Amino acid sequence: MNGSYLRGTVNGARVHVLPTDRFKTDSICVYVGYPLRPETVTPTALIPFVLRRGTALNPDMKRLREKLDDLYGAGFGFDLFKRGHYQIALFRADAVRGRFVADSRALLEETAAYVGQLLTQPALERGAFRKDYVESEKSTLRKRIESILNDKTRYAGERCIEELFRGDRYALSPLGRKEDLDAIDASSLYGHYRRWLEEAVVDIYFVGETSFEEASRCVRDYFRWQRTRCGEYAPAASAARRDGEVRRVTETMEVSQGKLHLGYRLPVTYGSRDYPAALLFNGLFGAYPHSKLFMQVREKASLAYYAHSRLDGHIGMMSVQSGIDPRNLERALGIIGEQLEAMKRGDFTDLEWNQTRAMIASQLRETGDSPFQLIAFDFNNVLAGTERTPEGLIGELMRAGREDVMRVAEGVSLDTVYFLHGDGKGEAAS
Amino acid sequence: MKVRHLENLQETVHSRELENGLKVHVLPKKGFSRTYALFSTKYGSIDSRFRVEGRGEVHVPDGIAHFLEHKLFEEPDGGDVFAKFSLRGASANAYTTFDRTSYLFSATDNIPENVEQLLDFVQNPHFTDASVEKEKGVIAQEIRMYRDQPGWRSYYGLIEAMFWAHPVRIDIAGTEESIGRITKEMLYDCHRTFYHPSNMHLIVVGGVDPERMFRTVERNQAGKTFGPPPVVERLLPDEPPAVRERENRIRLAVAMPRCLFGFKEADHPADPQALLDRELEMGLALDLLFGPSSGLYQTLYEEGLITDSFGADFMCREGAAFSVIGGDTPDPDRLLARVRELVAEAAERGFRRDDFERCVRKRLGAFFKLFNYPEAIAREFSHHAFRGTDLFSVPERYAAMTRERVEERLRKHVDWERFCACVVENRPA
Repeated sequence: MNGSYLRGTVNGARVHVLPTDRFKTDSICVYVGYPLRPETVTPTALIPFVLRRGTALNPDMKRLREKLDDLYGAGFGFDLFKRGHYQIALFRADAVRGRFVADSRALLEETAAYVGQLLTQPALERGAFRKDYVESEKSTLRKRIESILNDKTRYAGERCIEELFRGDRYALSPLGRKEDLDAIDASSLYGHYRRWLEEAVVDIYFVGETSFEEASRCVRDYFRWQRTRCGEYAPAASAARRDGEVRRVTETMEVSQGKLHLGYRLPVTYGSRDYPAALLFNGLFGAYPHSKLFMQVREKASLAYYAHSRLDGHIGMMSVQSGIDPRNLERALGIIGEQLEAMKRGDFTDLEWNQTRAMIASQLRETGDSPFQLIAFDFNNVLAGTERTPEGLIGELMRAGREDVMRVAEGVSLDTVYFLHGDGKGEAAS
Repeated sequence: MKVRHLENLQETVHSRELENGLKVHVLPKKGFSRTYALFSTKYGSIDSRFRVEGRGEVHVPDGIAHFLEHKLFEEPDGGDVFAKFSLRGASANAYTTFDRTSYLFSATDNIPENVEQLLDFVQNPHFTDASVEKEKGVIAQEIRMYRDQPGWRSYYGLIEAMFWAHPVRIDIAGTEESIGRITKEMLYDCHRTFYHPSNMHLIVVGGVDPERMFRTVERNQAGKTFGPPPVVERLLPDEPPAVRERENRIRLAVAMPRCLFGFKEADHPADPQALLDRELEMGLALDLLFGPSSGLYQTLYEEGLITDSFGADFMCREGAAFSVIGGDTPDPDRLLARVRELVAEAAERGFRRDDFERCVRKRLGAFFKLFNYPEAIAREFSHHAFRGTDLFSVPERYAAMTRERVEERLRKHVDWERFCACVVENRPA
């Protein structure tokens, strides 16, 4: 029983079911996507935090967590991220299949019930969320936003995106804004939650030893919402190039290592025909240990322990990250710039070309070995309105030529150079 | 060849020991595209003092095991082996822990060629003075990267405060000063001493045929000559049972302080089976006491003293065992005071039967989940194999576990004389 996705609409949500017995677990993912906007970004971010505190049936967080332990340590978590101009809350759960632990309970159904009740039947008081939960989770979210600073690479990455998308709503953090938290109360948040639950785009995935019928029944029985339609994602348009100079932003903090982040605009998105060529471009340029960035910045010049590039096909950007000694900033920038120029000239060997194709193909093939990766790959299609399979994308890659990659490289433009360092001489400049 | 079928797990392991002493284990995963191979030597950061038969005692610079791991990727032609793996679509990597160095690849194709590549690059060292010097710059940046991470700083800060002499207290990567003293001769020497096939094993998990895999490895190994296995005596300094410092305060740019605390164990069972049981008992005890569904966790969370980053873990290595508990907190002093009250109470009171049984179920589920992930299977298998315990015995050890045993273990562990904390914060120390 290792087939392909069965899909349908149930109870105002798109349901995607992949029956398979390859894994020890059955997995469920619920994607709730809402437009990324300044006025809703913070309350939307707060919702999952408050929901996890208690349901109408199990208002107590301790009891709720005991329930997971009881289901053989069923995993449950949520995540908040941006995809294009959407803020997405992902609720994720998985449970070991009963046959392994000799338990006759329907563990998948109980896990679906857990997620469904948590999402749609929260603990309430006087027609709103519980005040104590909202206040406590406001403080949790505030700490979470502040703690981004603890991970200097992540902090620098977010600051770079903020600068790159200055003036665009993509500059917003998926965790929201600290300064909005004070104004949120139990009743306003509950009102927003009801709208969010009704208007958001919802996709529910089941991967495991199950059927479309069983999954649909779970959605009908445990996702008790009044939704009339699933909604559609508007595919991302590539962020247009801003005219003018490259913007340089320098920040100082007490750090041992300088964090260099470069933000590039890329005229390609997941839905574009050039997407496979953009994957090749990124692979040749900086995604792997054989790529130009690693080879030149680390292996040849010994400037860094890490130097790599990352592509975001849902907004049309590329970033480069490297941790360096501040004294080597200009040298590192020079080397990185030269690598991009080499890409534009088509200056890459057959060896690099073949390595890159092999690496991407291998990564795509192994998507099927992890339930959550399988789901994440498919959800890209939902977001972009495409119908790609890993095999199909490998085919597209193999057909892409050097001139396609050079065309992509030509469109890549450096926009922001963000540098976080510790020597106390930095200043913000634009 | 030994074949073991695990009916409860629906998995089979094929094992063979080659003539040169290399142990090979293959676990085929039906339906998986990917193959993950892990080639490990029982040699890590704590092996910094040793005696080799026929030669005197050696004391190598801190961080050399990790340095060696980096340098093995370099090929005689000056290139690096990543490039060769990439060409076959394989992602290669390596890591060094306290007691092990592992080299790995993950790939969906050309598995026999990739396995040979893995064996070859690890078994054929090639260093020059210039390449050793060059690597020092790269590793210095790696050390600095970790120095900026509060999680890493608090973890090592805690171990440093707990131990006087045991080499777990030393950063796996060493320091910029210690790696500065590393020479190519030292690297060759450590390679000769610890990379003999009899000190290593290869674990392959994924879409492979065991027979073909054994043939590939056997043929590859038959083409190489190794001397007799060196007789190595690893020397560990005497470690007093008391903690070195009660508290270690570290200053770093952080948004919120981070506080880790734990207890240092006084005794160390020599029997591997006893070590495994201790690991499982402590896992249960810490989960029952500090896990997200525990009363203590909920109390501290509601008091605003802990965040979702709060966790508890137990580490048990040769001559060093300790718990590591904690996470980000707005008020480390208040957290530590509350922990002292609540832990003392809870250890005294013991666990409820239903809580205990639920916790066993949870940990059993976690064990089965492991088998979704080839890298996790290989990592755990390697840990058990080097220690001489059986990964697949875990479910039955859990079944034999009693609440009384776990309570007794916890009471022994919670010894305030061996309690220690590390705080990473903005305020000057």
